[in-house]
Amino acid sequence: MCIVVQSEINECHGYVSLAGELNQKGRFNMKRSLIIILIPTIIFIVIAYVVGGSSLILNGLTISMNTAVRSALMLLVSFVLIGQIQVLITKEMLDRWLQKFSGIKGIIIGALAGGMFPGGPYIYFPFIQSFNKKGMPFYIFIAFIFGKNIYDFTRIPMEVSLINPNIALIRNLVTLPIPIIVGLLAKQFYKNRTVESIFLRAGETGASDNRNS
Amino acid sequence: MLQTTVILSLAAVILVLVNARKTGKQLKGLKLGLKQLLQTIPLILCAFILAGMIEVLIPVEFVQNWLSKEAGLRGIFLGTFGGMLLAMGPYAAFPIITSIMVSGAGLGTIVALITGWCLIGLSKAPFETAFYGVKFFTYKLLVSIPFCLVAGLFAHVAEIVLM
Repeated sequence: MCIVVQSEINECHGYVSLAGELNQKGRFNMKRSLIIILIPTIIFIVIAYVVGGSSLILNGLTISMNTAVRSALMLLVSFVLIGQIQVLITKEMLDRWLQKFSGIKGIIIGALAGGMFPGGPYIYFPFIQSFNKKGMPFYIFIAFIFGKNIYDFTRIPMEVSLINPNIALIRNLVTLPIPIIVGLLAKQFYKNRTVESIFLRAGETGASDNRNS
Repeated sequence: MLQTTVILSLAAVILVLVNARKTGKQLKGLKLGLKQLLQTIPLILCAFILAGMIEVLIPVEFVQNWLSKEAGLRGIFLGTFGGMLLAMGPYAAFPIITSIMVSGAGLGTIVALITGWCLIGLSKAPFETAFYGVKFFTYKLLVSIPFCLVAGLFAHVAEIVLM
């Protein structure tokens, strides 16, 4: 089953500090996410009723309530952490990093900057696109994208509190080299070419610019 | 659970102090975090209910045959593509992943599931396609899948060796 929730936005509210106008957009997407997750929830409740009657629904709700009670304090603390990270890491700081380094250092900094960037894809894609126009090599771009996807430091408190600290640790350790390896592969194959010269045909860049302006 | 809360609380206190010293925006950070929590609570509660329902509905035989440690590569493969289909944010996805874990899924499956969700979750597809085209999306997908499988495999081996 494909449960599509436009809820990368959940990660994005921190970007209010970077782009105030996104606040409203964030609230809109949050409502949309809620509506979309409600649909599979209702479907599963109906299936539970058909399979095992109201007692099975009650079992499911009991599990949900126990999880909610157990996670309440951790959730509160996680969001305190997320808020602090969001005001500590500024766009200007990441700007400086990304323009300063190249080669393997650029890959590592790109991956770390991606991990520190506390926003959803419609925030980090426009952000990184501004560097592409300045000629940022593809290997740093891809390290940033994979760093964002894999590391996302604002997500770690949620991973620890909602899944399991040991699983979160193992997952993060196992996937730690991925953005670096991808960056190195991209450097090997594409040298200093930009993402636009590799993936976008002439003319497409302009369309993309217009979309983001 | 208590230990995790204590560690997270310590980290939060340290960051508040760092912010107080470096940026002076610790209160803004607190407000931002709490506002985000309030906005997200309905979604988290809904995800908890969905996760609870999945936990009672998911057949034990299915988990044992397809997702457990014994399922091996099959579980890792399913985890990777399951993560891709779980196209939702962390507050919704993590409780669901936990429910699959509690049902008896192996470590390899869970790591592949989280990595698949991180790297190839379909919620990112519209943005990747819109900004850099179908070719970029396809290349990223094709490059990412082996990484998800390898991550799952590493975790699976770690589970066999260490646990």
